[in-house]
Amino acid sequence: MRRIIDNDYLIAVLRLVVGIVFIYASVYKIADPGAFAKSIWYYHMIPGSLINLIAIILPWVELICGICLILGVWYDGSVILINLMTFVFIIALASAYYRGLDIDCGCFKASSGGGSSVLKSLLFDIVLLAFTIALLFSRSRKWRLEGK
Amino acid sequence: MIRQAIIILILSAVLGLCVNAILPNKIPYIGKYRSISSGNEPIIPPNADENDPPFIALDLAELEFNQGDAIFVDARDPAEFECGTIPGAINVPLDYLPEGDLAVYFDSVFAGVPKDTKIITFCSGDECDLSLHLARNLQAFGYTNISIFFGGYREWEKFGLQVERRKQCGG
Repeated sequence: MRRIIDNDYLIAVLRLVVGIVFIYASVYKIADPGAFAKSIWYYHMIPGSLINLIAIILPWVELICGICLILGVWYDGSVILINLMTFVFIIALASAYYRGLDIDCGCFKASSGGGSSVLKSLLFDIVLLAFTIALLFSRSRKWRLEGK
Repeated sequence: MIRQAIIILILSAVLGLCVNAILPNKIPYIGKYRSISSGNEPIIPPNADENDPPFIALDLAELEFNQGDAIFVDARDPAEFECGTIPGAINVPLDYLPEGDLAVYFDSVFAGVPKDTKIITFCSGDECDLSLHLARNLQAFGYTNISIFFGGYREWEKFGLQVERRKQCGG
């Protein structure tokens, strides 16, 4: 296992995949904070007064982390944040699934308030978490701009 | 590692707050949402706008139901409608409307119903927008006395009010 997650090429591919997922996920949210706020609201997990602030700031965390991960700048910080975000997304989706909420996950597109994409998104995020955990524990230091 | 994470968070907050300030579709920094229904306050979704018909709470919906002069319109799918709905409600499944002129469809569904009749739209609950979109459609076609019960069937059922089931469904 250790040899696999220390493989420079595997880690490079994972950085690229996870980075692109986070950048891609952030773009619509930045362009349409209202729609993203609504997606958050549907989960009924966050106090109403905080929803907009999260909708405004979180997509930028995703974008910056995605870019940092690919470029290898502020690498450790972005990896820990990406793990944290993925973990929180999984908790939110699992809770929505458990409560039987019929919602769009709000992950990649504006919410339409319908469609049962929760389970699919949950499975996607669990795979994503496996990737991000590999990044967290990997000792590969190749192809980083910050150089170590 | 922690220091880098904090820098990223601060940078994100600054960028997010600044960019939101110049976006044409910016949102207020502090949102005003109600998250949990208590039955006596209407649930109003964040995408409602000021031209929308009024949103009513469960207690008002129940009052209208008991008075019996309002038409309840269930905007959910026929399958959900048959599994349970507000007694006497008619089904206008917004996602499954026939192709063609909507005005003709509404005229056939609401045949003989004056345009100022009290109409209350609802769908499954506050994660569903169909009641809002149906109300907007009805408003556009000239119905003047529409309300939206955004708590929907789930809230109605949760508070133990009378329901009508056309068939038994699992769960």
